[in-house]
Amino acid sequence: MVPENINTLGDELEKQELDAPGGIPPPQVYAKLLAIYLYRNDLCNAKYLWKRIPPSSKSSYPELNQIWEVGKAMWQRDLPAVYSTIQNTPWSENIVNIMKALHEEVQKRATELVGRAYSSLSVDTFSALVGVRPEEAVKVAAQQHWQVDNGLVIPTRPVISTPPIASSEDQLYKLTDFVSFLEN
Amino acid sequence: MASPLENFVNNVRSLCTQGNYRELCDVLNKSSDVLVKFSQHLDNVLQTLDLQQHSLGVLAVLCVKLGMPPPSPPPAGAAPPSGASAASPAPSPSQDYHELLFAQVQEFISGCNGEQVRYAPETYAEMCHLLTKNLTELRCPMRGIDLLARAIRKIQLSDSQLTSIHADLCRLCLLAKCFKPALDFLGTDITTISQEGVQFDAKYFLLYYYYGGMIYTALKNFDRALYFFEVAITTPALAVSHIMLEAYKKYILVSLILNGKVGNVPKCTSQVVGRFIKPLSQAYHDLATVYATNNSDELNNIVSNYQEMFNREGNMGLVKQVVASLYKKNIQRLTKTFLTLSLSDVAARVKLSGPGEAEKYILNMIEDGEIFATINQKDGMVIFHDDPEKYNSPDMLQKLEYEMSICAELDRRIQEMEEEILIDSQYIKKSSGTQDDDIAPTQTPKMSGFAM
Amino acid sequence: MPLPPNLAVMLQNAAEPMQVDIPPEDNDNTEEDPYLVENPTLDLEAYANSYTGLAKLYRLIYISDHCPSLRIDALKMAISAVMETYNVMLYQQLHRKLQDVMSTVSLPDVAGGGMQDIPTMDLVWVENKNKKGALKLEKLDLDLKNYKSNSIKESIRRGNDDLGDHHLDCGDLSNALKCYSRARDYCTSGKHVVNMCLNVIKVSVYLQNWSHVLSYVNKAESTPDFSENKEANQHIRTKLKCAAGLAELATKKYKTAAKHFLQANFDSCDYPELISPSNIAMYGGLCALATFDRSELQKNVIFSSSFKLFLELEPQLRDIIFKFYESKYASCLKLLDEIKDNLFLDMYIAPHVNTLYTQIRNRALIQYFSPYLSADMRKMAEALNTSIPALEDELMQLILDGQIQARIDSHNKILYAKDVDQRSTTFEKSIAVGKEYQRRTRMLILRAAMLKNQIHVKSPKRETGQGGGELSVAPGNSSISPRL
Repeated sequence: MVPENINTLGDELEKQELDAPGGIPPPQVYAKLLAIYLYRNDLCNAKYLWKRIPPSSKSSYPELNQIWEVGKAMWQRDLPAVYSTIQNTPWSENIVNIMKALHEEVQKRATELVGRAYSSLSVDTFSALVGVRPEEAVKVAAQQHWQVDNGLVIPTRPVISTPPIASSEDQLYKLTDFVSFLEN
Repeated sequence: MASPLENFVNNVRSLCTQGNYRELCDVLNKSSDVLVKFSQHLDNVLQTLDLQQHSLGVLAVLCVKLGMPPPSPPPAGAAPPSGASAASPAPSPSQDYHELLFAQVQEFISGCNGEQVRYAPETYAEMCHLLTKNLTELRCPMRGIDLLARAIRKIQLSDSQLTSIHADLCRLCLLAKCFKPALDFLGTDITTISQEGVQFDAKYFLLYYYYGGMIYTALKNFDRALYFFEVAITTPALAVSHIMLEAYKKYILVSLILNGKVGNVPKCTSQVVGRFIKPLSQAYHDLATVYATNNSDELNNIVSNYQEMFNREGNMGLVKQVVASLYKKNIQRLTKTFLTLSLSDVAARVKLSGPGEAEKYILNMIEDGEIFATINQKDGMVIFHDDPEKYNSPDMLQKLEYEMSICAELDRRIQEMEEEILIDSQYIKKSSGTQDDDIAPTQTPKMSGFAM
Repeated sequence: MPLPPNLAVMLQNAAEPMQVDIPPEDNDNTEEDPYLVENPTLDLEAYANSYTGLAKLYRLIYISDHCPSLRIDALKMAISAVMETYNVMLYQQLHRKLQDVMSTVSLPDVAGGGMQDIPTMDLVWVENKNKKGALKLEKLDLDLKNYKSNSIKESIRRGNDDLGDHHLDCGDLSNALKCYSRARDYCTSGKHVVNMCLNVIKVSVYLQNWSHVLSYVNKAESTPDFSENKEANQHIRTKLKCAAGLAELATKKYKTAAKHFLQANFDSCDYPELISPSNIAMYGGLCALATFDRSELQKNVIFSSSFKLFLELEPQLRDIIFKFYESKYASCLKLLDEIKDNLFLDMYIAPHVNTLYTQIRNRALIQYFSPYLSADMRKMAEALNTSIPALEDELMQLILDGQIQARIDSHNKILYAKDVDQRSTTFEKSIAVGKEYQRRTRMLILRAAMLKNQIHVKSPKRETGQGGGELSVAPGNSSISPRL
């Protein structure tokens, strides 16, 4: 949850790791940071974090291994495994919120990807990609206003919303800047 | 306290009070023998010196301490040799020694007087090199990362100044597999290099760019990685450096992943590269040649031929990514020629195992924005699209403005440099042709020959 | 203790035996591919009669090397031709070849009758010719010496030419070339210069020294006397054009070759030492087809009154060109296939047949599609005499090469013309240029700093005995398989 402060939390944790006495922070810090990297879909950093966690922490704190199971599945883009691992693991208080948010995030990204990448796909594929049972997948499709026909989902391309335009004064300023650059 | 050390302390104190740092540096350089000889009493010396006021003195002492073989009396319980050197009843004296030393360095770096220390940048750098070495041996690179980052900031005159400590930081980051702290430094373009006398030899320069390239490669920022490796291989050279050779190999692999081909090395590359380094990287050239044929099967063949070598040289991971990139490149070629194509045709043309694998590749590439396509599972077809970017969105405008401002900034910088040269006395002397003593090679003033 | 690896290591010595670059294979020798033509429709007799001298011999030998069914006849003709020269060496060679052929061919054959008209090596002739040749050489040499002592320029020039002629007759090309070139210093008129050039060109063609050919063609053409009255020199002009065409063809510059051949004048075409009029038609026509666009083809080939006469000699080729022009590609390609065998027996065009054919095919494809916004690939395949998958492959290559701006709809088998959005491509390009500028400038600034600090890899001089402590972090090298 609370994606707003998840970034600041991540920075804080990174700092904690660097400042840890002896270079090894408590495993809870590792766990949280790893989960946050996954949430941000920052798989490279997640992978190297996993690699630098000392074996002693891994064995004393098994949850770390479970988080990495999720990370590994994400790395291999095995979405069904991502969903099932997240759902079937009893996460500790420490990270349960982040894992929940991660689940939603992955689902959101997958739905968005389906909208971009498919003009038609079977309900089965769709349900595997978004990690819900086929009956529910149909509902998810309906939420997106996609047609479901004969076991096929027909997605429509997402409409990209345009962000607000910067103030014209600002534009003018930049423009003069460029012109003066080009003329000199 | 033995008198030579007393002498030393007095010297440091008086010269510091006079503010005569240059002479102090000379004295310090000459006194390292004394310090080594009385190494057991160095902690006492430290106590008599003030971090702020006598930074240079402390630096010299720490440097000697770091350079000493670990704890002087490590074995046998004969711990207290004299005086009150180590007051703590520690379990492992060696560990304690290092902890204490580490704490001392830490304290020094945060508390020293930067201005004073800049009189002896090479000693400062040497201290950091030694620290890095110690941490590497103790297998706790993680601990030095933050410290070195602060050390660099302390000594730098500007963010864009390169020091030889940069290489140490990158090295620790690589060893710790923790890259983020290095990115701040790597992301800043270097415009000046600190004067570290003999200390700053090409080794640290090359290492920085080699390690930097490796860090970017690990984070899959191949564009930057290529830039770093390219800097490494274009460094002037009169002899073959192993760092350069390794950088060259990685340069080839990263080029293939990023651009699908290996371009010509820049003109300014020294001859050494062409004459010695290229022949030493034959396997990599072979790989690139096969890659150019776009035939994945043959690429796999050559990879398994050279597998042992790639493994030995620690490049197998990259080579695998090269192989994967060829599949992607071939799919991209298809998008240029086809509007629609069946998944099984894609698989056949790209030499993937079947429509399922082709679909997975395409899906992943769509996700990463590498192609624009939609899959039609009903007919088993893919429809390829053009880049939907129409260059008419406010977003794009912003991006363009940003890019242009960078160009303008760089241009400004070049102009500044040209002006600097134009008013440089040596340059004026030379260009007016009155004298042609061999002055160190200065840059040519024709920087701005680079038109947009 | 793995301190960084490094430290400059001079490899100067170790790497001394650097001449590993053993001669790279010369891939230009496509002609070396041994191939055989089984069923040519060539009238050997007539073919041989269009040439004289070495041209005839070389061409016959080429045929005998590549066509089993004509092998014996070709050799026989060559032998009788060579007997009119002093080329004893070639005579013996030809006989050896003939014997080789006979020993393999006639054994199982009962054709004892055939054996009779197989010439046998005439040793007396060989001896006679050798003697006569030597005598003649001696005489010509002596003559030349006399002329020289009298220093009459014109006579010396002639003497050299005669000597050159004789060397040529003996098959000694390099001496012939020397003599002809020597005549150069004794030329007193433009006409002589041109004549000298023609001699050198001829020998150079035999030697396949194409750059030599071209430079002497240039020399001849720029001789004042020659360039002044064009009309009078049609004859020579045509020869020069033919020689230049041959040279350009041999160096794969098909378009320039076509242009040269097309400038040959039919009525003044008489150059049996090198080329026959039907050769000109064939070489010029094929090169033009392969490289000219539609309007060039129309203007320079189809409506060219002079080249029309050449084409009359090769009716099949004429049909091919017209069919191509009328966009009847299927029959055009079919006819092309029919003449392919004969082309493979022509020593000058054979190495280029495949390339030229591919280019003609591609041109047909491009031209076929040019007026369309979309085209049905089924019809297209039919029109081009090919299958849909093969067509798809061909098109793919052409699109990737940028020769056709189109996209294939493989699902519906339709080819769509692609409209390029100029605006977008311009944006795309300028962003790329901007990025490149940034990159290069950054590197430049860094380089300036580097030079200022005199950073460069020096020869090794010191310490650091840590051997090979390579850092063990291999980026991207993970225990997990790298992501796809």
